[in-house]
Amino acid sequence: MSPQAGTRAGEKPAPLRGTAITARVGLALGVAVAVCFVTGLISHFIQHPQPWFFWPTRPVWLYRLTQGLHVISGIAAIPLIVVKLWSVWPKLFERPVIGGFVRQLERASILVLVGAMLFQLSTGIMNIAQWYAFEFFFTTSHYAMAYVAAGAVQVHIAVKLPVIRRALGEPLEQPSGELPGVPGLSRGLTRRTVLRGTWLAVAVATVATAGQTVPLLRKVSVLAPRTGQGPQGVPVNSSAIAAGVLRTARSPQYRLTVTDGAVSRAFTLEDLQAMPQVTHRLPIACVEGWSVDAEWTGAVLADLLATVGASPDSDVRMISLEPPGPYSRTTLPARHVRDSQTLIALRLNGEALDLDHGYPCRLIAPTRPGVLQTKWLSRIEVVP
Amino acid sequence: MTRIVLAALGVVVGGYGAVLLWDNPPVILVRIVVWALVAVVVHDLVFAPVCAALGWSSRRLVPVRWQAPVALAALCSVVLALLAIPVYGKPGLRPDNLSVLDRDYVRGLWWSLAVVWLCVPAYMGGKALKDVAFKRSRQPLPVGQDEVVERERACDIEPQPPTV
Repeated sequence: MSPQAGTRAGEKPAPLRGTAITARVGLALGVAVAVCFVTGLISHFIQHPQPWFFWPTRPVWLYRLTQGLHVISGIAAIPLIVVKLWSVWPKLFERPVIGGFVRQLERASILVLVGAMLFQLSTGIMNIAQWYAFEFFFTTSHYAMAYVAAGAVQVHIAVKLPVIRRALGEPLEQPSGELPGVPGLSRGLTRRTVLRGTWLAVAVATVATAGQTVPLLRKVSVLAPRTGQGPQGVPVNSSAIAAGVLRTARSPQYRLTVTDGAVSRAFTLEDLQAMPQVTHRLPIACVEGWSVDAEWTGAVLADLLATVGASPDSDVRMISLEPPGPYSRTTLPARHVRDSQTLIALRLNGEALDLDHGYPCRLIAPTRPGVLQTKWLSRIEVVP
Repeated sequence: MTRIVLAALGVVVGGYGAVLLWDNPPVILVRIVVWALVAVVVHDLVFAPVCAALGWSSRRLVPVRWQAPVALAALCSVVLALLAIPVYGKPGLRPDNLSVLDRDYVRGLWWSLAVVWLCVPAYMGGKALKDVAFKRSRQPLPVGQDEVVERERACDIEPQPPTV
């Protein structure tokens, strides 16, 4: 320590930790959690449609936005929770250790809160890096735990509301340990610095990862699980090898069958190429938070359905060559079926679809999660 | 009233999550709960004490003037390190898909840490230049003065306070 450093005689620095910081960082964390929860629910209900759930087809980048926000706000929550837990950590060792029933109840509720939050953040960040070290199914447990976390946050806010109100109403810095009237003059590290540092850390975390969905940040997002590159300039989530379609997708016997009740037609790849071809710029946006824009060329789905006389007002089932699994068949809602930008794509960025992107043909529709843009299509069925 | 409604809503929402979790077979449920509890224990009894110890010792080793930028750089480093955990050694890499984990994360982490820590002397240098300019001028600074004063530390006190 340099001779001039340290506090002046008689001064005792006010503690850095305190509700002034907890409440402010907590507020930001609350916003991040709310964004995560809402965007997560949106993604869930697109994948598990409910009659009351409405998901528009415009703007075409809507899912790219919501799911990008889901992962960005989740990552932003990491520095926020680090600082928030730092600000209250000594409370863990407060006495009495046991205390009364109310105290035990409060401690238990905080255990649930912290446990659920850390569960969500740790599994989420591992999932986007496709690191499945946990031996439970990610989607269902992340979904269920989201309600536990959201509920625990609400209970926590309800319990702490008077403390939060008081803390937010008071000035950030404590007067003790400072020269009168000159805030922050006397110490190296102040609460204001901690708070600014927290926002800085949030910015650093965002810049280091958001490039997988924000093209502008692509070069500087050194910790993003994806660069946004891949075959034909588009990343892949499930490869043709993993899907087990190497042989069937390249087979000369390949046919795309389109059926509506008793009416059925089989298309070869040449038949599909002979149909009027349309090109649209649509994003592919993965549940894992990465997304890129690309040019897709192919037949309009509604045109294809018209060849079997199907009405464009029904849901349509998309069935992949992929052996049965959670995403080998998906249902496209009627709103997306009749959309003029919904394509059965044969080409991507000017080239024939790469095998990993769904050769011979795949679905690409606006505002849909990538996992529902079924690849290696073998059958399109109108749902009665 | 607001608090009661909020708490009741929280119990319902959280309860729904518990019901959803309960759908899992017992062995899976145990794994989920253990994961959450281990995360809490690792934070409270490993991560937090290590951070506290580092903070405690650096408050004694680092000159007061340097403490704020060093603390900020340390916080950013901790966050970068946490974000690097799932990508650094590429544990999720699969040979059939080269579009995942397609960066050099070792280089990425160390370069970003270097940038963060280079900001510390850069900030201190900038501050020193500002202080020199301030002392030379010896005149009241009309705009941004508060900010300059705010950044000053105990050791910055001049023989005479600036006239206002």
